[in-house]
Amino acid sequence: MADVRIRRLEYGDRFKYVLLLPAVVWVVAFTFLPLFSVVRYSLSAYVLGRGITGFVGLANYVQVLQSDRFWHSIMVTAIYVVVSVPVEVVLGFLAAWLVNLSPPGARAFRTIIGAPLFTMEVAIGYLGVTLFSSQGGLIATVLAHLGIDIPWLSSPEGGLAAAILLDVWRWTSFVFLIVLAGLGSISSELYDAAILDASNHWQVMWRLAIPLAWPVTTIAILLRTIEGLKVFAIPFALTTGGPGTSTEVFSSTDYLTTIQFFDFGKGSAMGVTFLIMVSAIIALFFRQMRRNMP
Amino acid sequence: MTNVLWVRASYWSRLLVYILLSLAAVFTIVPFLWAMINSVKTVADTFQPGAMVPYLNFSPTLQSWHEVLSDPQVVRAFVSSVVVSSGTTVFVLILGVPAAYSLARFSFPIPSNDIALWFLSQRVLPPAVVLVPFYLLLVRLRLIDTWTGLIFCYSTFNLAFAVVIMRDIFRDVSTEVEDAAKVEGATAWQIFWLVALPLSVDGLVVTSVLVFAFTWNEALFASALTSQDAMTFSALVLASRSTRGVDFNIASVNTLIGIIPPVILYFFVQRYLARGLTFGAVKG
Repeated sequence: MADVRIRRLEYGDRFKYVLLLPAVVWVVAFTFLPLFSVVRYSLSAYVLGRGITGFVGLANYVQVLQSDRFWHSIMVTAIYVVVSVPVEVVLGFLAAWLVNLSPPGARAFRTIIGAPLFTMEVAIGYLGVTLFSSQGGLIATVLAHLGIDIPWLSSPEGGLAAAILLDVWRWTSFVFLIVLAGLGSISSELYDAAILDASNHWQVMWRLAIPLAWPVTTIAILLRTIEGLKVFAIPFALTTGGPGTSTEVFSSTDYLTTIQFFDFGKGSAMGVTFLIMVSAIIALFFRQMRRNMP
Repeated sequence: MTNVLWVRASYWSRLLVYILLSLAAVFTIVPFLWAMINSVKTVADTFQPGAMVPYLNFSPTLQSWHEVLSDPQVVRAFVSSVVVSSGTTVFVLILGVPAAYSLARFSFPIPSNDIALWFLSQRVLPPAVVLVPFYLLLVRLRLIDTWTGLIFCYSTFNLAFAVVIMRDIFRDVSTEVEDAAKVEGATAWQIFWLVALPLSVDGLVVTSVLVFAFTWNEALFASALTSQDAMTFSALVLASRSTRGVDFNIASVNTLIGIIPPVILYFFVQRYLARGLTFGAVKG
């Protein structure tokens, strides 16, 4: 292996940089430079049409940190992630476990259960209105017949709950597909061995499958959490942040601050503040990725 | 290959497995069915959610489909989505696949894993955070509300993904054939183009499908960076949500049009899907 590498190096020295550099330059130019300029804008007063009009120090940050709307959006995002991710992980794991048993027809189930991951999120949020609306929405109507009246779209709690349910519908498939691949890589000899000293199937799952699929599941949890923190389309299309601003997640608030009010200084400060808040989770993700890399 | 647990399962356990799997499948399919039913109802009929069976409970009509599809704005948005998603996919592959191959096959002063993680750090960034600089950059380049501007942004967001996942796939492809080609006197470029790429077609397909689907489904930047000419379908859905409220029949048609293209692509990829979704952290 090592000498293959070295031989390659001799004739491929320039070639390898020609292949690699365009992508590196692109990422530096359009990811890291924008990140620097967010920091710069966040410290500036920005007037639409005139550009940066002055350096204001931390004034934008003070404004953000004093903004109830910002903190509320952080809280909504946190609730969203803390509720939806565990539900998706448990449901996704169970579904993967059942499909991995490979009963006849497993492939069809796999295809169906994995499909929501490829659906357009804004469309799902939009469709959600027809599911949760109190005027003829499918879920609202069925529940009303059962005597359960939930003001889904007209209350903050209902709106958030509806968005989370749609998120579970859309993203459980993500955990499912990943865990399924993880379970599939457990060799059948291990099942043979486990089945001998387990009294039932649940024990095989607890003692064998969950421990062995755990690294893979951890990746799924971290990726879901990171994606969950970015959430925008489902809740925004479902409730447009309402009633009022009560179901606004972070991305919606930042989006509206930036695009509706053109308050670029404050929008940038919001972004940087959020990035600092979530950096611990991002760091955890990288630690786990590094462990999984061969 | 049937799992040993299934072989040894009792009749009742097997029944339970099927019941649970069917519940999961129904849970998945119901919103699609609901959208399909509403898409062939009149506005008046949509206020009767109990009327579920066409011809029996209500008379189906393609009126809503006709209304939506004859709207030039919808057609233009659909075309925009196709162009932007395809353009992004092609551009990301052109830029990302050579870099991935280079990282998989050659050694660099910095370990390949570290470079891959560096690429990945771009991917975990919440997009809303960099909305301002991208908006202002596009304003300066006069690319607001253009396909080029969107392709530029989406390529940036998806490049890291393509590099990391294709690096992982190239690493898995045996280098024996490449070594043989080298002995035959092939140049480095020929080996990449004529040997390595054809051997990685599965990986290229799954990468393309995922990039296409991510781009197709993105709404935040699409809404922020377009207003009319280049508005994608996802941005249009979001806009119509707030401007025309919700007529169930129209909402359903829009939903189905938005959902169908990437879901169809998904039916064709199975291999490497989990690997793609986890940036190579999961094999399979």
